[in-house]
Amino acid sequence: MSGLAHYLEDEGLATVIVALVREHIVSMRPPRALWVPFELGRPFGAPGNADLQRRVLQASLALLDKAISAPLLEDFNEATLADGGGDGDDNWRFPGALDNSSVLAEAASVVPIWQLACERLGKTSVGISGLAPEAAVEFIERFHSVDPMPNPKGMAQVTRARFSVDDIKAFYFEAALAEGGHPSTQQLHEWFWSGTLAGALLRDFQESTRVSEDKNLRLIASSLVPAERTYWFLNGLEAP
Amino acid sequence: MARLADIPEPERTVIADLDCPLYADTPPVTAVAKALRHVAIVSTAGLIVRGERPMLANETGYRAIAATVGDGDILCSHVSTNFDRTGFQQDLNVMLPRDRLREMEDEGVIGKAADTHYAFMGATSPKKLEDKARELGRSMLALGVNTVVLAPV
Repeated sequence: MSGLAHYLEDEGLATVIVALVREHIVSMRPPRALWVPFELGRPFGAPGNADLQRRVLQASLALLDKAISAPLLEDFNEATLADGGGDGDDNWRFPGALDNSSVLAEAASVVPIWQLACERLGKTSVGISGLAPEAAVEFIERFHSVDPMPNPKGMAQVTRARFSVDDIKAFYFEAALAEGGHPSTQQLHEWFWSGTLAGALLRDFQESTRVSEDKNLRLIASSLVPAERTYWFLNGLEAP
Repeated sequence: MARLADIPEPERTVIADLDCPLYADTPPVTAVAKALRHVAIVSTAGLIVRGERPMLANETGYRAIAATVGDGDILCSHVSTNFDRTGFQQDLNVMLPRDRLREMEDEGVIGKAADTHYAFMGATSPKKLEDKARELGRSMLALGVNTVVLAPV
């Protein structure tokens, strides 16, 4: 990101970075940066908190009002528990019953809850694999079987597997928020990775890719399960 | 909680050890007055428009996201699984605050919110992005954009 700032400024555009990793800014010295204390993935703060997003955006643009002769880095020190990195919501529960007779049955039981979530959110971020969410689960479940699902045209099989995993996670996480609430990111991940059959499926799939003889499968291994989860699973550790 | 010390291992070490090429200080462009600012957002979240080919690891190109594209048609194809996406799933503005930018235009805080915003694939070596970044810069200037908010994930 800092590299982009250097190139765009050199082309004649005034830039400001909303930075998540302060150390990278210090090292790469872009002209202007506002460091924010939010978790990775949320540079403008909390979902649904327009006021906070606005304050971050205004604070970043305010750096443009300062005459500078050297790189400018300021901190946005307005931490908020509502950014998702806080203690979470003790009252949050997955808003429905999961059929745990099989991973495909579980996915089918998530569908109506996910549909409610889509209505509430007015959108979905599922769809990058090109498969319906239940089909994405089946694509991964049968990937190493003697009867893998046919891979539709337009995307290599391994690439579709990687994006199917993204879709499965989005499908479950969106469903988990069908009734709103403010669970922390860690709460959601603990529920998914330790409490669902889909989470177990993805962990097993990741392990199969990690040790695969197929280089292309090994290349996607690190894009499937968060690194800390992989570390905890491989070392028999529980989430702190 | 993006303080490096709060990020769990092994991701903390990966981030700390990330290749950060050294740059000479770039002379900063003098920003225009607020009322004249024409602002675009450039994300490195690997955002794409639904139906497009997802961006892949180490991809150096960028994608354009027009204002006419609805929030539900913007997907995240970033290669990393080590950042939160549940915020994005609920509200695009945590990654790409285009609604906030439009509000600021409506209120006269800025001159104009760009009609198009852009996304690169983060986690690509910064030096490899130079050609496309400069190409995008020239393209934005041609469209009248003079100010860019850069948004990582």
